[in-house]
Amino acid sequence: MNREAYRKAFDAIPFSPDFRDRTTELLRDRLREQEKEEHSMYIGKTKKLAVLIAAAIALLAVSVSAVMLWLTPAQVAERLEDPVLAAAFDSEDAVLLEETAQVGDYTVTLAGLVSGKDLSRAPAEYNGQLVSDRTYAVFSLARTDGEPLEELPDGLSYSPLVSGYHVSAVNAWTLGATCQSFVQDGVAYYLFDTQNLEMFADHTVYFAIYEGGVPNPATFPTAEDGSISLAEGVQGALFTLPLDASKADPAAAEAFVEGTGLEFIG
Amino acid sequence: MALTGAEEVSRLVETYSSMLLRLACTRLENPADAEDVVQEVFLKLLTAHPSFRDAEHEKAWLIRTTLHRAADLRKAASRWNVPLEEALLASAPELEDRLLAAVRALPEKYGAVIHLHYYEGYSLKEIGKLLGLPAATVGTRLARGRERLRQSLKEEIE
Repeated sequence: MNREAYRKAFDAIPFSPDFRDRTTELLRDRLREQEKEEHSMYIGKTKKLAVLIAAAIALLAVSVSAVMLWLTPAQVAERLEDPVLAAAFDSEDAVLLEETAQVGDYTVTLAGLVSGKDLSRAPAEYNGQLVSDRTYAVFSLARTDGEPLEELPDGLSYSPLVSGYHVSAVNAWTLGATCQSFVQDGVAYYLFDTQNLEMFADHTVYFAIYEGGVPNPATFPTAEDGSISLAEGVQGALFTLPLDASKADPAAAEAFVEGTGLEFIG
Repeated sequence: MALTGAEEVSRLVETYSSMLLRLACTRLENPADAEDVVQEVFLKLLTAHPSFRDAEHEKAWLIRTTLHRAADLRKAASRWNVPLEEALLASAPELEDRLLAAVRALPEKYGAVIHLHYYEGYSLKEIGKLLGLPAATVGTRLARGRERLRQSLKEEIE
């Protein structure tokens, strides 16, 4: 037996003659679907009509504090016609944060989050399966100079990241995240949902809002101790999510990361 | 490097399909299963957006992910089916069939090294880079895998 015999044996395997064509077509279809989904994620689902924005500007002009008018996470869920999730944000399991950070011209506020099973009227789909065990986060953006937003800002991405895991392996894209958004009263509101992040709760879990695309080490360098930071020069904010460490599931976390096929990327 | 457009899809499929299909067949008997695995790997590349340093990094990712997925599918199938490799090895009349059965009967860690060396012609150092192993480990696995094949086929592998 020699190399020639070995090659002959494998060359004789009867693969489908149209495999390349079928696969190319399949991938191109998926690429088109993905482009649509990403467009939806960035642009959001709802835009306020100009006439309502004008009304919002008028309201702000009467010196009422804009902060006081901002929607709560439950109100954002209601606005997106998800009363089940609104109730979850009003429950004791929800965490209200109201943490703010500056991202370029914007003030970003991470308003709150809630995690668990069946918290939404619409479970998400991940790899073709319905997933009801999710983490939901509500955040908002407003211009720091007080000018009301008329439409959703372009170019921003949002993603969870987890210390100790490569940013390419655990992020919004691998976690099957989705995001709905709308502008109301000059403020952009976002409802972000992803696979339940509590499985990672024995690590530091971040929520990044930043200018850029899929997380990579150039944007999010990882220190030797596994902590993740925002690279110098990148516009963004990195919040730390206060998850309950007792709900960590290291086996599920490892299985998730292994399932991405990216666990070995260094 | 990232998968960003239709041309990139064509490049990937043209460049890697054949290699990955054969590689999956070191673990899987059914060519249709191997085709499913390779399609899943390409789809994962699309959805996971891994960032590659260069073409070698991309190739290594595809090879490792294919091996992982093929192994997963084989494990899942083994829950329902008895292993057939030994039976096929004993009964297959053609040398090619017996060789394929013998390769599939190898432990996973030997099969990949044997295949990348004997079919793809990679050196120990190159296989080490592709699989993330020291070259010495690759050499050991190659020698042990070759010995097992020799015992299975009762023939000399050069």
